[in-house]
Amino acid sequence: MSTNKLERLLNLTAVLLDTTRPLAAEELRQKVEGYPPPGTAFHRAFERDKDDLRVLGVPLTVEKVPATDPPVDGYRIDHDDYYLPDPGLAPDELAALHLASLTVRLDGLGDQEALWKLGGMSVGDGETPAVAADTDVVNGVVANIPTDPSLVVLFQAISEKRVVEFVYRDQPRTVDPWRLDFHRGRWYLTGYDRVREDERNFRLDRFESLVTIIDAKVENQQTSAGAAGPIQPWLVGDESPTVAKLLVDADRVAMAARQLGSDISRHEQADGSAVFDVPVVNLSAFRTFVLGFLEYAELLEPAEWRQQIVGWLEDIERGSNGEALR
Amino acid sequence: MSRVTAADRVRRVLAVVPWIVANPGERVADVAQRFGMTEETLLADLGVIYMVGLPPYSPDALVDVQIDDEGRVTIRLADFFARPLRLTPSQGLALLASSDGLLSVPGTDQSGALARALNKLEATLGLVRDETVDVHLGTAEESLLERLRTAAASAVEVEMRYYSYGRDEYTTRVVAPWRIFADSGNWYLHGWCRQADGERIFRVDRIENLNELSAQKSQDSPSGVQDSVQWPTDRLSIFHPQAGAPRITLLLAPEAQWVTEAYPCENVVKRSDGQLEATLVISALPWLERLLVRLGPAATVLSNEELPNAETLASDSAKRILQRYR
Repeated sequence: MSTNKLERLLNLTAVLLDTTRPLAAEELRQKVEGYPPPGTAFHRAFERDKDDLRVLGVPLTVEKVPATDPPVDGYRIDHDDYYLPDPGLAPDELAALHLASLTVRLDGLGDQEALWKLGGMSVGDGETPAVAADTDVVNGVVANIPTDPSLVVLFQAISEKRVVEFVYRDQPRTVDPWRLDFHRGRWYLTGYDRVREDERNFRLDRFESLVTIIDAKVENQQTSAGAAGPIQPWLVGDESPTVAKLLVDADRVAMAARQLGSDISRHEQADGSAVFDVPVVNLSAFRTFVLGFLEYAELLEPAEWRQQIVGWLEDIERGSNGEALR
Repeated sequence: MSRVTAADRVRRVLAVVPWIVANPGERVADVAQRFGMTEETLLADLGVIYMVGLPPYSPDALVDVQIDDEGRVTIRLADFFARPLRLTPSQGLALLASSDGLLSVPGTDQSGALARALNKLEATLGLVRDETVDVHLGTAEESLLERLRTAAASAVEVEMRYYSYGRDEYTTRVVAPWRIFADSGNWYLHGWCRQADGERIFRVDRIENLNELSAQKSQDSPSGVQDSVQWPTDRLSIFHPQAGAPRITLLLAPEAQWVTEAYPCENVVKRSDGQLEATLVISALPWLERLLVRLGPAATVLSNEELPNAETLASDSAKRILQRYR
């Protein structure tokens, strides 16, 4: 590691923050110590420094230097883009954030630097941070949340209130992104689908392309107030839901009720079994759920879906004699 | 020792210097502890910042670092580093999701330090309060989760009815609970099972009829297991395949490839036609049977030397389910 490189990057950042007008590369070479003389070596060093700053998250503004002909690129750092507004965290609040980031982890995300920026850790007794009253509540809680390649860029788009494009179920989508939900082990995006002109949920692990943030501001505001309930996989899709009637044996009713959620109505039968009225958009996702009960549950209605499940099972039944499963 | 790049040090300096500027006269040792670094590292960073400033780099334009006889540090003339850099999207997302996830744990103080910190963070990031990221660590009955956590905290054994998905059967168990944790959308109970006379992990949403056995003194947990802060940072391992458990190799069409994400697989190979070959460890036959029925034509058994009945498993199961529908 070169101390010169470290000094130069810090000096470059200081000069770019201090200037009120865009500075050309040559001006920066003269103002910032440690650059080679003009020429290829300087050009290479300067390009590398710019890349390093971008990786660090330092927002470089590139503008034409006024009154240059031919136009010359100039650089500065916009204060609003750079400086973190003071969130005004009290020591116990900072400690709580620290505890949250220690106990609830996102795969591959989260780092020490985020807490440094917020003021480090509240200093406690030696090794462990001083964590106040919340300790009892979270004692023993450790949670792990998987992440998805699209997650960060979607969050960035939501923060910047900008529109995103991606491919989903073979269709190109243009979406005003509103909210990210983690439910039942999966990440979902809720937003306004501009082509379908309606609110939609998308499962991030089903995206068929990378997400692109386009140069358009979000215009359609979130309609449903706040977080919806957990999103069931069979509710994700473009069509409007159909109510399916699912008969579950007495022994499995409690489990089905937990998995379906408390807002699903059910009719108890004399023998303790129950019929659940489940709104369903995506039949194949619902079939996966229903078959998880093996012979202890039965789809009653709609008749067409019931027939589809029968057809599915008959194919598997035949598979043992034929070659379908071999 | 890992290589520390100049960029990593810039990251640290840009986060730590603003805090020292805003909090003059703190001890070097305390600052180092707050930011989780050694005093030597901090002093080395301060030695570099001493050389940073603006042209013409005269003493009055260089950052002024003073450390007094009592080891108290003050930084002046560093206005350009008066505030840290904004959080990157991934840092903001990780903090928000961790906090929201921890707040979703039943029993967390909804107006405590963490909730206040989360609101301040959302405001700083320019986000609509409570409407951007919503994390549910797992679906489990709140009261059940809370009782299990209380039992774990007070080392009280519990008796419960447990549904084994793998074996498709209910059993009654007495468990000494050690800790409760969430991974990938499910809550788990980790503890010592009296029936199995071994360490076991149970899914909380498959627990019914919980009874605290107040008279019992719980089996001691391995040292440190209760301490959430000390818990290992890597991914929690839930599934430990038994040595000698049979394996099966499946050919998975694209719509069935969630299997490789949901279950531990060995030797996942992607074919040129987009299908995956995956070898799974089979802990119990009913589990495999159910998996094959749910996957239907999307999965093909490729090799099953250790499970001679594998082909008929799915068809036998389909036959049993079909009896309900005919």
